[in-house]
Amino acid sequence: MNNIRNFCIIAHIDHGKSTLADRLLETTGRVTAREMTTNQILDDNPLEQERGITIKLHAIQMDYRRPNSTGDAATYSLNLIDTPGHVDFSYEVSRSLAACEGALLVVDATQGVEAQTIANLYLAIDAGLEIIPVINKIDLPSAATTLEGVKQQVIDLLGCKEEEMILASAKAGIGIEEILEAIVQRIPPPRGNPDAPLRALIFDSLFDSYRGTITYVRVVDGTLREDDKVKFMYTGAEFTVEEAGMLHMSRVRTKAIPCGGVGYFTAAIKDVKDTKVGDTVTLSRGGAQDPIPGFREVKPMVFAGIYPAISDDYETLRDSLAKLTLNDSAITYEPETSTALGFGFRCGFLGMLHMEIVQERLEREFNQTIVTTIPNVEYQVTKTNGEQILVDNPADLPPPGLIDIVEEPYIRAQIICPAEYIGVVTKLCIERRGIYKNTSYLSSTRVDITFEIPLAEVIFDFYDKLKSASRGYASFDYEVIGMREGDLVKLDILLSNEPVDALSIIIHRDKAYFYGRKLCAKLRELIPRHMFEIPVQAAIGAKVIARETIKALRKDVLAKCYGGDISRKRKLIEKQKEGKKRMKQVGAVEIPQEAFLAVLSMDE
Amino acid sequence: MPSLYLHIPFCERKCIYCNFYSVENLDSRQRFLQALLREIDLRADQLASDPEAPTTYSTIFFGGGTPSLLSPEQLGSIMEALRRRFVIEPDAEITMECNPGALTEVWLSGYRALGVNRLSFGVQSFHDDDLQFLSRIHTANEARRGITAAMRVFDNVSLDLIFALPGQTTERWRSNLREGVALGTEHISAYALIFEEGTPLNAMRLSGNVSPAPDDLDAEMYAETMETLAEHGFRQYEVSNYAKPGRECRHNLGYWERQTYISFGPSAHSFLRGADRQERWANVSSLTAYLQQAEAGTLPVASRELLSSQLVLEEMVMLGLRSRGVNRAEFRQVAGCDLTEYAPNTVAMLAEQGYATLSEHLLSMTPKGYPFADRFAVEVLVGKK
Repeated sequence: MNNIRNFCIIAHIDHGKSTLADRLLETTGRVTAREMTTNQILDDNPLEQERGITIKLHAIQMDYRRPNSTGDAATYSLNLIDTPGHVDFSYEVSRSLAACEGALLVVDATQGVEAQTIANLYLAIDAGLEIIPVINKIDLPSAATTLEGVKQQVIDLLGCKEEEMILASAKAGIGIEEILEAIVQRIPPPRGNPDAPLRALIFDSLFDSYRGTITYVRVVDGTLREDDKVKFMYTGAEFTVEEAGMLHMSRVRTKAIPCGGVGYFTAAIKDVKDTKVGDTVTLSRGGAQDPIPGFREVKPMVFAGIYPAISDDYETLRDSLAKLTLNDSAITYEPETSTALGFGFRCGFLGMLHMEIVQERLEREFNQTIVTTIPNVEYQVTKTNGEQILVDNPADLPPPGLIDIVEEPYIRAQIICPAEYIGVVTKLCIERRGIYKNTSYLSSTRVDITFEIPLAEVIFDFYDKLKSASRGYASFDYEVIGMREGDLVKLDILLSNEPVDALSIIIHRDKAYFYGRKLCAKLRELIPRHMFEIPVQAAIGAKVIARETIKALRKDVLAKCYGGDISRKRKLIEKQKEGKKRMKQVGAVEIPQEAFLAVLSMDE
Repeated sequence: MPSLYLHIPFCERKCIYCNFYSVENLDSRQRFLQALLREIDLRADQLASDPEAPTTYSTIFFGGGTPSLLSPEQLGSIMEALRRRFVIEPDAEITMECNPGALTEVWLSGYRALGVNRLSFGVQSFHDDDLQFLSRIHTANEARRGITAAMRVFDNVSLDLIFALPGQTTERWRSNLREGVALGTEHISAYALIFEEGTPLNAMRLSGNVSPAPDDLDAEMYAETMETLAEHGFRQYEVSNYAKPGRECRHNLGYWERQTYISFGPSAHSFLRGADRQERWANVSSLTAYLQQAEAGTLPVASRELLSSQLVLEEMVMLGLRSRGVNRAEFRQVAGCDLTEYAPNTVAMLAEQGYATLSEHLLSMTPKGYPFADRFAVEVLVGKK
């Protein structure tokens, strides 16, 4: 156990985490340079590679032979546990951190510390991890001018000494040996009791259609062995371990995972919902009394309706969602019905990125063509009769007369940016109903700004707006801090006087007018002209607050000479027919699918 | 009433909006003529062994390009070949598309003597600035003189006119229609200007040098066309075609009523409607390839398509609603049910709201319905709701 080191890498997107991981794998001989054909071995999902972020966690074990050492002190087993790099997944991050004793804090020598890094760093410090600061990309020419400032930032942040920092370039292979030595020397070995009853922390799982759930664990106490009868302490599910092993480039069966080690096991687990990240695995008989602390049920924060583009595809969409949740248990879905969109599902996501990932996976992996409605948060409504309900679909908001209080989730937003952007960042936050909390200077030129903002105000395009307002320099992180009352109303959209349920939103009263006008104008552009005039209205209850008109169409025929080329003309008609099948209908009005996400492309 | 079509792929100058195949180099006319005669032979041989081929033909149409670039002598050799290889009905309609400038009385009489009995003039406008914009090679006065001269020789003369030109007013468009009527023609094709991909006109739009007429103005001119021509005794028998009674173009009706047409020349499209198979094919859209293949003794066909009953149905509805109506008996034969069962809601709505009339035999557009014929075709084809 003394020769095991468990660590993770904390870094902002593009600061070089994946390249550093690749270099460590190469230096320890886990992969050869020839195998390193594609960079960034940890990100094996194509979506992850495209976006340069890690969505699903991965872990990998490597054997490190120390130069100039012999005997017990010569060979170490290093487990690198990867962490997702996005705020939507901060709970998963906290569980991977709980599986480690140390962390490499990687900071780009030309960019400095970012909000994402700080948020995860605090999680790591709270978890009691030993932090090894690594300043990466020191070989870049521009690092010459920025390096000293970045060093100072890290010193201010960690209270460490300058000599504790490792100057490196993962790309050029500088500092790699030094990092490996620091992992061995500075990160403590796992503290656990090999003789105590088994306790293993689940930090990830994935689904294999032949073997069921493959569970990734860090063994804290005892040893996990094949044929053990085990119990998952939170879910109560019991299984017999079929196969256990270590995580190299692929899974390597070793029949047991020792105390302090990291590995995987299979146990014919058919329902991925049994395997919850953060749960503790113990023995069915003579197991541990107390689970490893920190477990939390992951709760979706953002909700949206997902509907098949063609209503006949409802069944295949349901099957696809069922399959998708096998390796993404954070998604929730419940059947729902919309007058505009037909049968579909109300889905819950950890955040907007998570929602985008699910949409893309449905489209790419499952070939589904879907319509997604405007995302929203979950509201807590206290009715006048005292009853409390949760509302995750605007259509379910009771009529105003029955509502006493509506509460919405708030977040504490942490934004780090160059000091010259304080003004624009503050303006943006205030536009989003933010409440100013604090500004602190990380250095003379970088500030850390804290606001409390309703979550609903950041789920659409807050991050994009923040990026463009700060020319890409601001970074953003948040945590949910609880529910607060707000003057919230339901805004309905009516086409030819028929409400379109899928376009209703819950919004702050002060913003309803502006939003209603904008959305009506946008819909006038997106909805094609019909043979009759279509009034487009935005209304709060019975009160219409905005109106546009789509004028009646007067001609819809191609009046041209096309000679004997009938096939070409027929193909045009076929295309229109296909397009028409994809239209959604409310009353006599046909609505193209893109109209349902119109709000996301509305410029302010 | 099967038809023959001949595509003459030459133009002195191509018009900026036109996307029919033609070349501006006139040198290979004689070689083309030989290849065309060869294709007529090859096709006739091939059809001779096809039991589904028609036995007689009731219309011939020379289109292009500019067929009036052919001298009567050249035209004569084509007519001779057609008459030698196909049975042409004695009262067949034989049409020739013409440029209204530069046609001499000698040539006109020559065409007439060869059996041509209908001329179709690509006039497009009686305003010189419109003609210049469209890069036509004739002037308005030349058109007037050409048509008048032609009408001394031919009693069946048609004019093509184009509306929705950039900057055109409804008033100006009306003046074109009135002048066409005043010249005494009994058939007018009035097309909307379309910005076809690949044309110089579309390139001008893409670079922002010209913009299409607004939709509502286009619609207004279309309504104006129907009204003005109706006032003068023209009946609309297709989305863009109007004729005095009995002057409807039989050849074009054949396209819309899905009669067989066998076509010759580069880019020409053909349709064979047999009892057991319906087939469309298109020749290569390149004069060079056409010449090479025909000279080598192969039919210069680029693509062919056997029509499934679904496609037949789509064509019947689309073409029927654009012209004289969807034939209900034919529809039943292919669809296995009546139109009123296939798309009950749409058909009922069309009839109730006066967009169409539903007779025992036909579902046909009214003047109120023609402007939406494509939309209705789609709605009928989507079927039950």
